[in-house]
Amino acid sequence: MKYSSQSVAMPYFIAAIGLFVGQIIFGLAMGLQYVVGDFLFPEIPFNVARMVHTNLLIVWLLFGFMGATYFLIPEEAETELYSPKLALLMFWIFLIAGAATILGYLLVPYSTLAEMTGNNILATMGREFLEQPLITKIGIVIVALAFLFNITMTMLKGRKTVISIVLLMGLWGLAIFFLFSFYNPGNLVKDKFYWWWVVHLWVEGVWELIMAAILAFVLIKVTGVDREVIEKWLYVIITLALVTGLIGTGHHYFWIGTPSYWQWLGSIFSALEPIPFFAMTVFAFNMVNRRRREHPNKAAVLWALGTGVMAFLGAGVWGFLHTLAPVNYYTHGSQITAAHGHMAFYGAYVLVVLTIISYAMPLLRGRAANGERAQVCEMWAFWLMTISMVFITLFLTAAGILQVWLQRVSDTPMPFMAVQDQISLFYWMRLWAGVVFAAGLVTYLASFFVKGDSKPLIHA
Amino acid sequence: MQTQGSSARALPHSDHGTPLRATVIWVVLIAATIVTWSVGESGATGPAIVGLLFSIAFGKGALIILDYMALRRAPLMWPMLALGWMTLVCALIGIAYWKGLAA
Amino acid sequence: MNTCAQTLVSPPALPAVASDSPARRLPGDLAIWFFILAELLAFGAFFIAYAFARANNVELFNEQQLALDRNAGALNTILLLTSSYFVVRAVQAAEAGQGRRAATWIAGGFACGAGFIVVKLFEYTAKFAAGVSLSSSTFHMFYLVLTFFHFMHVILGLVILAALWNGARKGRYSPGNMNGIETGAAYWHMVDLVWLILFPLVYVMR
Repeated sequence: MKYSSQSVAMPYFIAAIGLFVGQIIFGLAMGLQYVVGDFLFPEIPFNVARMVHTNLLIVWLLFGFMGATYFLIPEEAETELYSPKLALLMFWIFLIAGAATILGYLLVPYSTLAEMTGNNILATMGREFLEQPLITKIGIVIVALAFLFNITMTMLKGRKTVISIVLLMGLWGLAIFFLFSFYNPGNLVKDKFYWWWVVHLWVEGVWELIMAAILAFVLIKVTGVDREVIEKWLYVIITLALVTGLIGTGHHYFWIGTPSYWQWLGSIFSALEPIPFFAMTVFAFNMVNRRRREHPNKAAVLWALGTGVMAFLGAGVWGFLHTLAPVNYYTHGSQITAAHGHMAFYGAYVLVVLTIISYAMPLLRGRAANGERAQVCEMWAFWLMTISMVFITLFLTAAGILQVWLQRVSDTPMPFMAVQDQISLFYWMRLWAGVVFAAGLVTYLASFFVKGDSKPLIHA
Repeated sequence: MQTQGSSARALPHSDHGTPLRATVIWVVLIAATIVTWSVGESGATGPAIVGLLFSIAFGKGALIILDYMALRRAPLMWPMLALGWMTLVCALIGIAYWKGLAA
Repeated sequence: MNTCAQTLVSPPALPAVASDSPARRLPGDLAIWFFILAELLAFGAFFIAYAFARANNVELFNEQQLALDRNAGALNTILLLTSSYFVVRAVQAAEAGQGRRAATWIAGGFACGAGFIVVKLFEYTAKFAAGVSLSSSTFHMFYLVLTFFHFMHVILGLVILAALWNGARKGRYSPGNMNGIETGAAYWHMVDLVWLILFPLVYVMR
């Protein structure tokens, strides 16, 4: 750690991991509810568990992005953070608001929550992933503005690098597109149209900038490859991500009542969306192969390479699988979507946050890298989680193909629930893969507590 | 990534050809464009015409790729990728055209 | 089609030129070439989608294609080719150690590119006045999207040419420092290259 204010990243990372654990617990509960429908009913019905599962994911990734930014920006700008106090204050506000929201989901009926939180003043609730009460949404905006103010001020007084500029662009984009969550037109088509401006333009637009910047930062640090080289790649990757991702929004406009030309635009541009992810994979491996030093933190290198591969598979390949309009006509909203969602979020965003945590956490704890045993433990966690996620994806894909066949393609289509019965074997297997994933997560947590000879910091 | 070419490159050797060569190629490209345009004006159709159009397009593209983009002296992979792209696109357009005739 | 291409691309003088070159070298920056490949894939996907959409709707495409302004299309081809030629001359000037002279050639290339934009804007104005829109037909959708996607690339290319012109005026490019000008030139030629397929495909093939 080169600047003492980088330490504000620590609570953000801890909170991120904590919420990650919560996300997985609810994921397991839902996995069971898929096959044992009345599990936890009526206390935590499926729709509530799903809301908590997805909201926790988004919130912990945001914590991870913020922590990454607080760690990365001082080092890139070569100056202390503008206001570490503001950063800590925002941490507590965000954590408390987030926790209160989740408790609200769990403790009171959603409609009561809506009444309590002023949804009648400005109705924004009830839409997938944007279920947050109005006051939480306003809180998110305030936290984001304070965060961006803090980061922008830090950058203005320090060195401006390509990495920090790309990161900042991504974060500003994130905040700006979130504003569309306040726009809730009565027309259902328009509602969905702009809803995607938050959801799609986050994960297939500005988040990719954040991800590429974080990955580039870690790669510079662990490989020692020239900044110039890495920055060139970064330019190419973000241009490709924006060119394909922005108009690629069209793959959500196939069947919601928007003009039919979206079927062409969405198909063609989103068919190209794997390209930036492929470039990212090549980039990560290329940089590691050309490394100029052997960084003692082997685990961080593994996470970084894993990000490249899994993002390409999950976001690129599994996205492409069902992105062409003629294919999506059949697969829309099936388990194939769930398969893609799981591996894409894990491969691109979970792994990139765990990459920066893996790189930064030892430094925040005053050492260059963890000891051998702790690193081995962490790498076990990587393989357990990654392989089980591959299996979750494969089982859901198999379930999805079967579902599409029985329910939509066959000459004698079966009703939805009858099909669900037919594919329950895959749901069981997915659940067991999920249990292995949870074991991987426990291993990951344990790696922070493994004692051993850590690699000391060498001050050059 | 690729750094600049060696600073002590002997002057007679050139990666980008001579002005004369570039000018001759320009004349060929313009002439080929006029042929394509006049085919359009004549309203001619049919497989032979379309074959001619895309042969011309391929030839023009190859000149751009090899000479103007200077991939002629690049590692083989690069001209191959670019020419392969041209070939694939022209071939698929041809197949689609043929499919349209059959329909 | 291959034989035709062969004769076009391999004039007899060629082997002599190639044989005395010391080592094969990719001009410009590796990153731009990855970018160019991705761009070629994007345009390629569009061209092929157009061709197959046409195959399912030949009559509509043939009929509406007739309404396109082929003269404007051909003029624009000539503008882009000439612009590319000027940029080649600029690169050659820089390679011959006349870095500042390159600026004049680039300015010429920029002027031709700007001419393309002007012609295209006239063409679009006429089409919009005639009621052409993204929704008016599949052909119009492809015509507008393909040409507009390319149009945006021309604009980006012009920005790059402006940067090259600025660099050349400051004498930044020399036989020992070709990276910048070669990188920008490669992108500009790519913009030209895709138009060479777009024009016969959308304006002429029937």
